[in-house]
Amino acid sequence: MNALAETRCVTLRYGEFTAVDSVSIAVERGETVGLLGANGAGKTSLIRLLLGLIPPTSGEALLLGSSPSVKSRERVGYVPQTLGLYEDLTVKENWDFTNRAFGLRRLSLPEDLGEIRDDLVGELPLGIQRQVAFAVATSHGPALLVLDEPTSGVAPLSRARLWNDIHTSAEAGSGVLVTTHNMEEAEQCDRLVIMVDGQMVVSGTPADVIGSRLVVEVRSEDWRRAFELLDSAGFVVQAHGDVLRVPAARDVIDETITASDIEATTTMVPANLEEAFVMIVSERSAA
Amino acid sequence: MWAMTVKEFRQLRRDHRTFAMMIVLPVMMLVIFGYAANFTVSKISTVVVGPQAMTVAEQLKAPFRVVEIDPKLGISTAKSRLLNGRAEVAFIAEPGTTQVLMDGTQLFSTETAEASLGRMAQAARASGTASPLSFSILYNPRLNTSWVLVPGLAGLILVFIGTLITSLGVVRERQSGTLEQLAVMPLRPWDVIAGKIVPYFIVASLDLIVIIAVGILLFGVPFVGNVAVFALGAIFFLLVTLGIGVLISTISQNQGQAIQLAFMVMLPQILLSGLIFPISSMGVGVRWISYILPLTYFIDISRGVMLKGMPIVALLEPLALLAILAMVVLALAMLRFRRDLAPSSRSYRSAMAESKVTA
Repeated sequence: MNALAETRCVTLRYGEFTAVDSVSIAVERGETVGLLGANGAGKTSLIRLLLGLIPPTSGEALLLGSSPSVKSRERVGYVPQTLGLYEDLTVKENWDFTNRAFGLRRLSLPEDLGEIRDDLVGELPLGIQRQVAFAVATSHGPALLVLDEPTSGVAPLSRARLWNDIHTSAEAGSGVLVTTHNMEEAEQCDRLVIMVDGQMVVSGTPADVIGSRLVVEVRSEDWRRAFELLDSAGFVVQAHGDVLRVPAARDVIDETITASDIEATTTMVPANLEEAFVMIVSERSAA
Repeated sequence: MWAMTVKEFRQLRRDHRTFAMMIVLPVMMLVIFGYAANFTVSKISTVVVGPQAMTVAEQLKAPFRVVEIDPKLGISTAKSRLLNGRAEVAFIAEPGTTQVLMDGTQLFSTETAEASLGRMAQAARASGTASPLSFSILYNPRLNTSWVLVPGLAGLILVFIGTLITSLGVVRERQSGTLEQLAVMPLRPWDVIAGKIVPYFIVASLDLIVIIAVGILLFGVPFVGNVAVFALGAIFFLLVTLGIGVLISTISQNQGQAIQLAFMVMLPQILLSGLIFPISSMGVGVRWISYILPLTYFIDISRGVMLKGMPIVALLEPLALLAILAMVVLALAMLRFRRDLAPSSRSYRSAMAESKVTA
């Protein structure tokens, strides 16, 4: 069976700068694929290549089994970072416009948007705007949903609601390709693709991505000073209550602490996704 | 304050278009309009007919520029030449009397011709060689300025709506990020362009009707010609101005740039289209610009139909030129727009073919 969206060694160059470097990914029916990466890693460029909004320098992008075209895009729902809604139109008017553009008529607005149907989109809070953008993008029952940072700037409750909607779409058989910075959200994806400097460095389930990576757990009565010490030494430190977690080699952390007058104990514990991400990016940058 | 001034200069230095507009444009405008801003008519296209045509033509001096002499032709031909715009003044030289017809839609030429004829008559009387000379002004007998300006202003207002307001359309989509969403929708570039143009087309058409109605009711401007011919010219002209608006929109990154470009396009149309200054009085170096401006041809059509009742056959040239301009401008706008909306088509396929060959 053909993947809903697929890139084969796709590369995008702007002069000397390589935005996407020989990336191959695929999104199947019913799965949610998370695209992770720092700003400028090439996530949005990869999405735009997949949708055919920019031509690749080399390689191939396939949308629903063929080159991206007006026809194949008919079955795609897309929410760009900028949402793609007309702020000077009401929710209902935006809904009607998109449906007419997709050749659908008299499709009624979802019930949960009923209360705001006559509100101008530009006057709604960002979380609600994103909810509207999602509803509009899925109104034509797309086979593939592409969401670029769908929860950026959204409050936790709205974020949870959006992810609930994303899961509902995937359970209904849609493939979902979503970019995010948020690791809690990334954990909700079936599969993750991590990009660094335009290259795909890891692909797999969240558990695959974490793999056997370990981080150093630091416990100390004087944990605040320990935090300052490690942070100023250039480590990425996370405080979970009074326990510090550092994605680094244990002997290096021990050495740093021993050199100070802080008393602390260190143990190795399995990394979480965020720590694994930091380690992957650091390893790649160091390479 | 100094920090702000330095920052503004730095921003201005990087905004090449604004910088060019502030430095180059005024100089260019001054040179162009210096040659164009001229109410003095030095040459008046003149046709001389009637049995005494050769004798009368020999006596005519500047500003009359005789373009046709034919003793065999009569008053109907003379009127036809004025109607078609081939001549601004016609002399019908009969034995013992000469009748002069002038085209009242050419205000400055007619006023200059009147003054010259007055001087000629005075000189003839002084030398005792005066022969009876009668003259009449056709199409605008009282030389009402409003009669000449209203048909032209109607075009100018269409330029404002078509070019300025439409030019903001695509830019607004680009700035708000909705252009990307449009690109993903199953819409063809032509659907988007047509969808964008239609509302402005309807509003501009209504505006045109209101302007003409006000001109007729308030200023008594006549409408002696065929409404359908006028409408055809207006449709072609509107398509050109709307197409220019979309074209500007596709090459501008923000609304400020679009407005700057729209003004650059509109200003020459105001000053060089014959709306204010007669084209025949413009310097040869800038006159050619008039002939590539769509408003020049719309003014020919609107004045021709409203004031002179010109038939469609007499207006085929401006109509055809506007139609060609409309096609060229809309095609360019669509090609540019296609790059924004569907870059995948040709370039995408060629890139893929290339990569397959490499593989």
